[in-house]
Amino acid sequence: MNCNEAATLVARYVDGEVDDLQRRTIEQHLRTCANCVAEHQAALALRDRVRAEVPYHQAPPTLRERVRAMAAEAAAAAGAPRPRPLRERWRWLISGAVAGCAATIMAWTVGTTVLAWHTNEDVAAEAVAMHVRATLNNHLIQVASSDQHTVKPWLSARLDYSPPVRDFSSDGFTLNGGRLDMLDKQRVATLVYQYRLHMIDVFVRPETAGAAPTLHTIRGFNVAHATGAGMDWLAVSDVSADVLKAFVERLARDEGAP
Amino acid sequence: MPHLDAGYNLARWLTRNASDAEDVVQDACVRALKYIGALRDGDARSWFLTIVRHAFYDWCKRNRPSEIVRDDGTAIDLAADPMAIDPEQAASRMSDSQVLADAVAALPLPYREVLVLRELEELSYKEIARVADLPVGTVMSRLARARGLLQRSPLLHAIRGRTSEGDR
Repeated sequence: MNCNEAATLVARYVDGEVDDLQRRTIEQHLRTCANCVAEHQAALALRDRVRAEVPYHQAPPTLRERVRAMAAEAAAAAGAPRPRPLRERWRWLISGAVAGCAATIMAWTVGTTVLAWHTNEDVAAEAVAMHVRATLNNHLIQVASSDQHTVKPWLSARLDYSPPVRDFSSDGFTLNGGRLDMLDKQRVATLVYQYRLHMIDVFVRPETAGAAPTLHTIRGFNVAHATGAGMDWLAVSDVSADVLKAFVERLARDEGAP
Repeated sequence: MPHLDAGYNLARWLTRNASDAEDVVQDACVRALKYIGALRDGDARSWFLTIVRHAFYDWCKRNRPSEIVRDDGTAIDLAADPMAIDPEQAASRMSDSQVLADAVAALPLPYREVLVLRELEELSYKEIARVADLPVGTVMSRLARARGLLQRSPLLHAIRGRTSEGDR
């Protein structure tokens, strides 16, 4: 392969868009060609900089609220095509009362969410710190295996609970292994998954009371939480928030061992 | 609306403005709610991003017709961008971490959208092709062009020049 052919392949290699044969070809070429190695390094550096420095804009709460109202309206219109006509006065009175109730409910929801968020924030920050440390150590995996039947017994032997371990490589989430961590002064199981080029740490511990599902971003890492199958699932990764949330919710769904 | 963030992020990078992005996303949501029946088991995120992109182009035709570039090879590169930032001025006021974001914002629209879909939304080439209604080959060449422009961006060089002077 010459360097011209390699150049297009390097970009696809960095994007994770090569098949096994192409991967082997490009890796072989990179072992022998200093020019293409430099290209490859530059492409990796640019990608990392873009992901670290170019902000991902999240929808502002006002927009979210407006869209929610729109969706509710659409659902109501679909469910009851013709609302019964009310006298004008009554309509105003009722809409006033509804608005009042909605405001109260919203204030309450926001209040409890903020409180829950504050209590969970420490744990989330701790989890992110752990994830970063593990990444710096080249992803510390104490039991490296993509076989759930190897990882699960290894973890259960060292903990007083047995975390559900499943592999989702058919959906792109490959189980890379597991390790033990200390989270919230508790020994927890950490499952290490890989999605495309991203590492996902999933901290699993028995369900604790009062933990509310939250999703937030700390120093550019997304943290998603879910409860299910008798466990608390806390996932940390640089993968996008949508993907991470869907993944952690999927883990928490109690589907039993496959 | 589980993919609202993704839609807003795309609209924000396409319009380069927070309130315009809100308008575009709101319009997209109206359309999404109308056509939600058409979505069957497909990838909801790509589907919604496609709608956001359409909403943006319709909005753009109404509000900033000069930004829409017909693609005949070199036209994209030659198109003057009224929103582009003067590199020198930008470099003098910005922190290093903002430079790259501004360089992305300064990319011509056809390059910017594939780059944002790839690096921020992390869609595969095939998904980008579907969302942006392009052949996969064009997705790849536009991505390469976008990255080339970023690597050679005068914004980055202005900063680099300044920091190396500082080191001396």
